[in-house]
Amino acid sequence: MGLIELAAAKALASSAVFLFITLLMMASAKRISTCIVLFSIQSAIMAAEILAIAYASKSIEAYAVASLVITVKVIAIPWLLFRIIKSLKASQDVAASTTGAQSVFIMAGLILLSFFAVAPYAKTLRLDEDLLAAAIALLLAGAFLMISRKKALMQVIGLLVLENGIFVAVLATTYSMPLVIEIGIFFDLLMGVFLMGLFVFRIRDTFEHLDVSKLRRLRG
Amino acid sequence: MSLVLLLLVPFLTALIVLTCKQSRRAVAVAISAGALEIAAIANAMWRIRSVGVLQFGRYLRADGLTAFFLLNIGVILALVLVYSVGYLRHIPLGRFSSPRWFYSLTFLFVFTMIAVYLSANLGMLWICVESTTLASALLVGFYNTKGAVEAGWKYLVVCTVGIAFALFGTIALYLAAVKSGVDPASALDWAVLMNAAPSLTATSNLIKLSFVFIAVGYGTKIGFVPMHSWLPDAHAEAPTPISAMLSAVLLNCALYALLRFDTITSHAIGSGFSHSLLLIFGCLSVAVAALLMVVQRDLKRLLAYSSIEHMGIVAIGVGLGGPLALFGALLHTFNHSVAKSLMFFTAGYVRENFSTLRMRRIHGMARLLPWTSAGMVVGGIAIAGLPPFGLFISEFMILTAAFGTSRYFIAILLMLAISVVFGALLHHVQRMLAGKPVDLPVAKPKLLPTDFAVMGVCAVFLIVLGVHIPGAFANILQSALVVLK
Repeated sequence: MGLIELAAAKALASSAVFLFITLLMMASAKRISTCIVLFSIQSAIMAAEILAIAYASKSIEAYAVASLVITVKVIAIPWLLFRIIKSLKASQDVAASTTGAQSVFIMAGLILLSFFAVAPYAKTLRLDEDLLAAAIALLLAGAFLMISRKKALMQVIGLLVLENGIFVAVLATTYSMPLVIEIGIFFDLLMGVFLMGLFVFRIRDTFEHLDVSKLRRLRG
Repeated sequence: MSLVLLLLVPFLTALIVLTCKQSRRAVAVAISAGALEIAAIANAMWRIRSVGVLQFGRYLRADGLTAFFLLNIGVILALVLVYSVGYLRHIPLGRFSSPRWFYSLTFLFVFTMIAVYLSANLGMLWICVESTTLASALLVGFYNTKGAVEAGWKYLVVCTVGIAFALFGTIALYLAAVKSGVDPASALDWAVLMNAAPSLTATSNLIKLSFVFIAVGYGTKIGFVPMHSWLPDAHAEAPTPISAMLSAVLLNCALYALLRFDTITSHAIGSGFSHSLLLIFGCLSVAVAALLMVVQRDLKRLLAYSSIEHMGIVAIGVGLGGPLALFGALLHTFNHSVAKSLMFFTAGYVRENFSTLRMRRIHGMARLLPWTSAGMVVGGIAIAGLPPFGLFISEFMILTAAFGTSRYFIAILLMLAISVVFGALLHHVQRMLAGKPVDLPVAKPKLLPTDFAVMGVCAVFLIVLGVHIPGAFANILQSALVVLK
């Protein structure tokens, strides 16, 4: 194994740690814009991983996927979300139902939990344990953000983090799916965020607030 | 080539109809495109019958199961399009809520659902199921009222999260296939996976994990309890033709995805695991939905819970396994589609005349709207599962299979739930039909000939399927069963 391949492998192994750091920071973030930036950084870490894989395996498909991640997740979606925030002119508070300290504590617990969850699979299938744990942690963290933050935009961000988790799971297990499928998934993601943005505006116009915990007309 | 045509017609129609500024022209375009699409479906079904499997390129494929579900979407599309002619009187001319937007989004929705049926690849299947959510979310929020926006948002978020779990399940299955030596480039293709399924036993834990995620993910979209929270809201707030589409086609569409995965899982690790999971979801859905139907106050929400109950019955049928139960389950999806469309159509007329769907405020319907009431009685008896309508036959098949395999607990639970549902429907419907007629808030609009046509066709379908299953239809069902074997 050459030196560069070794470096790429090392980067891949340590990237899980960076992902955990973004999660902990997201838990303590108080403003929506901070979370968007953190999401962008998270996606950039993923892109770096894919680039490392692409370099090591000399696969053109992996380069294509990396460029998709960079254009869609690192640039397009955060830009779209920032545009929405700007034209909403609403308060930037994430409206958390747990305090900052509690959130960080819960997030740390979720990260630990994900290590326990993947241990049996990582051993039998000989997969990278850290990265697989990062994938599960992202899934859980996304779900946690969605249920503990009341702002509609934070639910979108929670969903994006959850989706990142699935993406990291692909990286940790099979490196990549067939390219056509990846492109389709990215297209769906982009359209989904676009539509959710549309609904955020509609919620603001019809309800005059963005607190989804107050959307409770339809029950039973 | 006939497969490409199936996709091309609705997609182009969605674009063309947007250019029609006059609503009369939009209706004309939509109806003729609908007729074209139904002809394309008939053509594809004919070719599937003679060739067996149609394949176009690597990503489009149609077999017997596809043909059965295409028939379902064709029938309901025809009914919904004809019904919409009368329904369009409701639609106010807003910026995005005009007839042309309605038709454009509807055809986009149909396009994504047909794409689900034609996917040869499980990854593409996921992409298409997710697109159905995206295409229909705007339709659910079409009226832009508080309720509609809330329902649309909930639908979008809940289903996208659910479907994300299904993606995770798909990846787990992909991993299992790749680890067992299937070529990564084709490890998501349905045909390749079916061939390789028996050799996947080494990774049985991973396949179980994958099926749990798939059942939760696509189960969200089917409306299994406890992931059903989006379903009553979306059905109640969507325009009525779309409620019928959601209930009669979309739920079946998600069920189709689950059936594909269930077949692969059964081939790989035996049917015990996946079928017991389906039985659990089915029993939960049937029991909870039946009880919730008793306390409903809104007519369309009542119908939505009834859809959850019927999807539960179908899940039980699939979970029981064996040719009789599976035949019953597939037949039930079709019967339920027709009966539920009829019920939603009558609910639309009720809304039009009484300006409300609160069942407490509706009285004396039998005298005020005799024909609508007749439709509602037929539909109500049908969805309660009584003879002489089709749902009785299919429920009876599933029950027979349950007793035949000595699953007494499930059989008794199913019978109890069906009785509760019957009681709930009787209670709600007779309260609306009987009593002193209320003063109608608006002048009574006359039923159009098209309205009579759709209600009549639904009733005829239900009675014919309740008396005798035509040979051609039974053949379509049999060739669908061959795929699932």
